[in-house]
Amino acid sequence: MFAPGGNTGLSSTTNYRVVLPFYIYAAFAFLIATLILVFHTGDIARHYFHPYTLAVTHILALGWGTMIILGAAHQLVPVFIEGRLYSNTLAYASFIFAALGIPLLAYGFYTFNLGETARTGGELIICAIICFLVNITISLIKSKSENVHAVYVFTSILWLLITASVGLILLYNFQYNFLPDNSIDYLSLHAHMGIAGWFLLLVIGVSSRLIPMFLISKYSNTRLLWWIFVCINAALLSFILIFLYVSEKSLYLVPLLLITAGILLYANYCYNAYKVRIRKKVDEQMRVSLLAILMMSLPILFLVVIVVLLLLAKSENISLVIAYGFVLFFGWITAIILGMTFKTLPFIVWNKVYHHIAGKRKTPSPKDLFSDVIFKWMAISFIAGFLLFVIALLLYISFLLKLATVLLLITSFLYTWNVLKLITHKPAKI
Amino acid sequence: MNVVTNDNIRSTIALAALHEVIDPEIGLNVVDLGLIYQLDFDEAAKKVFCTMTLTTQFCPMGESITDAAREALQTSFPDNEVSIQLTFEPPWRPDNISEEGRQFLNM
Repeated sequence: MFAPGGNTGLSSTTNYRVVLPFYIYAAFAFLIATLILVFHTGDIARHYFHPYTLAVTHILALGWGTMIILGAAHQLVPVFIEGRLYSNTLAYASFIFAALGIPLLAYGFYTFNLGETARTGGELIICAIICFLVNITISLIKSKSENVHAVYVFTSILWLLITASVGLILLYNFQYNFLPDNSIDYLSLHAHMGIAGWFLLLVIGVSSRLIPMFLISKYSNTRLLWWIFVCINAALLSFILIFLYVSEKSLYLVPLLLITAGILLYANYCYNAYKVRIRKKVDEQMRVSLLAILMMSLPILFLVVIVVLLLLAKSENISLVIAYGFVLFFGWITAIILGMTFKTLPFIVWNKVYHHIAGKRKTPSPKDLFSDVIFKWMAISFIAGFLLFVIALLLYISFLLKLATVLLLITSFLYTWNVLKLITHKPAKI
Repeated sequence: MNVVTNDNIRSTIALAALHEVIDPEIGLNVVDLGLIYQLDFDEAAKKVFCTMTLTTQFCPMGESITDAAREALQTSFPDNEVSIQLTFEPPWRPDNISEEGRQFLNM
């Protein structure tokens, strides 16, 4: 009647020591990025090619978004592929290279010294990505099963490597000027590879597994996930080809339509998982994560307006471009991290603290390891700060802009506080 | 969900012990969740065999849940060797949840 699988299906979880440094680093990077935002609000709102804007963007994209994704991926990929992480040493190396490279790169941007310091930072980050790529690739090769989620993760790491390599080439081009155009002209190429190729693909690949799992929903649709994969990669490849070889700007509507289709299909996937969920009461962490999926539509709306204005007025609106960048990094990317941190990290810490006593005595549940009240206030300050920032930026209301950055600083402070509370959790003495 | 067994009396003792093993994410015990498929007892060899599943193959708490189930059975049958067989065939379905479990989850 039942097919015993021996001990199949359960992979040993990655050691928490490998994963936790990524989460801690990301929390402090988020805090630093919001601090810079508070102190340099006016400068950042002025132009996207401003030293402080570049510094904040890279701290958010690499220190915050990428670091936490690297940490979570080292934990989750072995689970997805029913295997083990190939090497803890490579994971540590990846952390050390990235942890050293990110501040060097950010400092280079902050001081607008795009020479040796920034380039060394960029090179160290590429070393970190290569370590991660090798580690995940060998883990995949040695694993028992292949699945769509693993393909998403692998492809997104390739895009991350391409994005970082293009970024490094642009840094060299600042000094040696070997490309046909200025580095600033290639920024949108570099940015969209990172946004769609790395963040979007990886977030969809991982959350398409996590969202049904945490909603306790049996929904799964591999075919739909493959279609989304095709849409996003086709959008990115067509964007690159048009950017490099075609001068007709109206063709940018092709990648725009493809990426919109991909996001809409994914929203549909999440909605279907939500509809057939077993757990009717959705917790705050899942609500924030689902809000992040809805927030994916915002950058698309901004992009439509930017492209239409570009086609009609033949010029770009700087405020709109900054708002577009903001709704990406402080929008869905930040929202999904805020939500998913408190769905994944409690399990890692719970396994570390309570695994050996599970079944022997009563243990708290993973959600008891952090403060729900702090989480709630963090979510409120995040949503308020996010909305206020976008409105203030588009309407040029400077005092509202400052208020919004203070709210985002509060968000990052509450997030870091809760993460540290979780990580330092000790079992109650009997 | 009915648990297949070759010894109803021992199975009742085992299920009472497994009732204390909670899936930490859902907050419901493994028996009412319908994770326990089969309980077999070999009196001569002093062995307890438990065939169980998880709500998902990707369950991050999988190791902890199976370890807790082993610990609970070992405490109830201290002279026996406990063996946990994990299976995903057939996969767990929401229909496996007991009436008590459905009430707990507001299903």
